[in-house]
Amino acid sequence: MQTIALYSIKGGVGKTTTAVNLGFLAAAEGWRTLIWDLDPQGAASFFFRIKTEVEGGGRALLRHRRVLEAAIKGTDFEGLDLLPADFSYRHLDLELSRGDKPKRQLRRVLKPLAQEYDLILFDCPPSISLVSENVFAVADALLVPLIPTTLSTRTLEQLDTFLNEKLPKNAPLLLPFFSMADSSKALHRAVMKSVPGQGRLVLRSVIPETAEVERMGLHRMPILAYAGDEAAVAAYRGLWQEVKDALPAR
Amino acid sequence: MNLAPAEYLLPSDSDHLELAERVTARQACGEDSAVTLSRHIYDSFDWRLFLAGLTLEWGLSEAAAADHHDRCASTPASVEDGQAALVVPENGLVLTLREPRDPSAAPVLQWSALEPGFLSEMPDGPVRERLAGLLGIRRLLPMTELISARRRLRLLNEDRKTVVRLVIERNRFRNPATGETGDLSARLRLKPVRGYAREFTDVEQWVRNELGLEPIEGPQVLEALTAAGCRPGGYSSKLDYRLDPDQRADLATKEIHRGLLKTLEANVEGARRNLDSEFLHDLRVATRRTRSALSQIKEVFPATEVDDFKQRFAWLQQVTGPMRDLDVYLLDLPALEKRLPESLRDDLRPLRGLLNDQYQSVQAELAKALESDPFDALLRDWHAFLDAPAPADPEAGQPGTSQPSSGGDSTAPPPKRAQQPIKQVANQRIRKMLERVRSEGRAITETSPPEELHELRKSCKKLRYLMEFFQSLYEPARIRGQIKQTKVLLDNLGRFQDTAVQAQHLRETAEAEGCRDGGIPPATLLAMGLLIGQLQDEQARARSGFSEVFRGFDSDANAARFDALLSDGKGRKRQIGRR
Ligand SMILES: Nc1ncnc2c1ncn2[C@@H]1O[C@H](COP(=O)(O)OP(=O)(O)OP(=O)(O)O)[C@@H](O)[C@H]1O
Ligand SMILES: [Mg+2]
Repeated sequence: MQTIALYSIKGGVGKTTTAVNLGFLAAAEGWRTLIWDLDPQGAASFFFRIKTEVEGGGRALLRHRRVLEAAIKGTDFEGLDLLPADFSYRHLDLELSRGDKPKRQLRRVLKPLAQEYDLILFDCPPSISLVSENVFAVADALLVPLIPTTLSTRTLEQLDTFLNEKLPKNAPLLLPFFSMADSSKALHRAVMKSVPGQGRLVLRSVIPETAEVERMGLHRMPILAYAGDEAAVAAYRGLWQEVKDALPAR
Repeated sequence: MNLAPAEYLLPSDSDHLELAERVTARQACGEDSAVTLSRHIYDSFDWRLFLAGLTLEWGLSEAAAADHHDRCASTPASVEDGQAALVVPENGLVLTLREPRDPSAAPVLQWSALEPGFLSEMPDGPVRERLAGLLGIRRLLPMTELISARRRLRLLNEDRKTVVRLVIERNRFRNPATGETGDLSARLRLKPVRGYAREFTDVEQWVRNELGLEPIEGPQVLEALTAAGCRPGGYSSKLDYRLDPDQRADLATKEIHRGLLKTLEANVEGARRNLDSEFLHDLRVATRRTRSALSQIKEVFPATEVDDFKQRFAWLQQVTGPMRDLDVYLLDLPALEKRLPESLRDDLRPLRGLLNDQYQSVQAELAKALESDPFDALLRDWHAFLDAPAPADPEAGQPGTSQPSSGGDSTAPPPKRAQQPIKQVANQRIRKMLERVRSEGRAITETSPPEELHELRKSCKKLRYLMEFFQSLYEPARIRGQIKQTKVLLDNLGRFQDTAVQAQHLRETAEAEGCRDGGIPPATLLAMGLLIGQLQDEQARARSGFSEVFRGFDSDANAARFDALLSDGKGRKRQIGRR
């Protein structure tokens, strides 16, 4: 099983949009995929028309594994499941703070899922919290959307430093890519040209800012499921290919 | 809770368009693009997976197939073509191991771009793990191909979210060996969407009540296998006859031979193509048993024909020998390597290389023999002999005068025991061979040469074969017990013999290679020498254990058991009389 987290300290950079589309692509290739919606706003759950309430309540929480299993919902796409935000927020924080290694709890929670899924995609909220630290500890890779401005590249440096301090031995692979890029803006063009040259790896695929991506909220499904001939569609496919290539072999 | 999918047979005259309309009239539906899926079903020649309640499929996952179809933007390959002419994207190929008897058991999946074959070559993963210990050295072979064209509906809730999947599926099979294709029954499938159990149960009931379909626990694979002419579980190299004690000896013996011939023939193709080494092994065992039956069940067939067939089966045994020797050598090699100290194991590598080099030409020789005219003629003549009508019963007419099959032989006297009841012949033959084993065994002393043990082993094998041929004529527990007892002795003699053969192989290789330019290097020869020493030690251990093992076989108690087995009026005969 591979675990990839969509992560950025900044909000509104395209994390959820990317998680939803990559999840779709992975499942379409036959990867048994789970998107784990860690954001209390439940944007990923919204895209899949999944209501975010969990049955069972607090009592069932004691039997954590069964609650987890019961909370997972199938999406409209075969092989693609989703763990709704509600689960993550009503229960996960509590669960994580128990035990003597709160930063390692997620690993235990994930264990039973390893048999069921080939890929888990975490859609993270834009913050550093106990949840995100747990994610860092289990993720094989952090996929970081960068809006091509100087500010966003600086936060990437900060994240890199943070990871190397916290997880000196087993920091996840850091895979930044440019998101919501607008080539009509001079700043975007300049940043995209200069950053990879500064010795930092940035994936080659660039997700353009387009109206069609924005309309995903109206369709309530991945853009790949309804738009065929779109610049962003090709960009997401390219991104998924690069991510696969960067991951250790299955 | 994970619900199991439900599956229904659709009547052959059912209108799939109308069916889909009824579904969409009941509930709002979405529809995914249709896919054509091709799955190859694998098993070993002797059906080890099937017998363990498992089926193994290899093909594109449905998701990958759908993605592939969509992206090719072409119409899906038609199921009518009998083949899904797909250019298969390698990373969507998946091994699926199912347990059809338990439909709620989740299938075990493993990605593998590599066609299944030997387990040792399968990439690591959960399927390989699950199959470990089940397949041994047998190769997984494609038994049938199941081609399914699926129309895929999604039943939606008020948020237009998919809550149940419904598939209408037309199916065909293709025989991978012959290319023959044909229709299989159409099916309707319901697939639960995780987290929507209530909706699934509702649709299930609707299908049952409104469409009038009954769920089947459908090992669809079984349908596809049968259609392709497979008989799952139908092969076994074990002897299993049902003989009638009063049956004429010549007829009963032909029945035994026919069973052996069937096994022999079943293995020809696999041995010729070298699918795995068990084919040749089973072929040779059937040949050895045939020869043993020809010479040991005496005086039931005309002597001239027996002599002729004995010679020709001896030829078969001989031309299949070199390949079997090489197989055994290679199969033993890992165990031999383990005997060496770790630091020397690599030294043996050139030996493996040498054997692998010889492999192709030896296998080609074998294939040539199995495609040769003498072999063809042997099978043909042997069939003709076994299928020829039996000489008339002396009570019904003149013996010897009405043998239509052997006109030239009509002057020869009829075989002495041809008309005797088979039980009588069996008793006599087993007794004779038992006496021979005893006297040969008693003659063996500490100083006897290995050849004597080898001879004893041969006699012992003959005794075992006789008991196995005639097993059904005796009281089941008794005969099983005596066969088992004989096997203990055979095991001891086998260990002695096998280590001797291994040592001899090594010695012969060393002698042939040691003085050849560019032969195997000295370090390898040294390692081989070390192995020969070890094998000789082991042989000595088997040798020193022999006298005790034989004493067990030659005990009064065992003699009494053989007597009880062979004394007349006991066992099957009386049981049959009672009925
Ligand atoms: N490539 C794009 N082109 C146009 N609009 C985009 C693109 N990617 C994302 N958006 C829009 O930008 C907004 C934020 O995107 P998204 O929710 O994916 O970001 P996020 O990083 O997950 O945000 P948050 O930090 O709030 O979770 C959404 O309205 C989305 O539709
Ligand atoms: Mg988000």
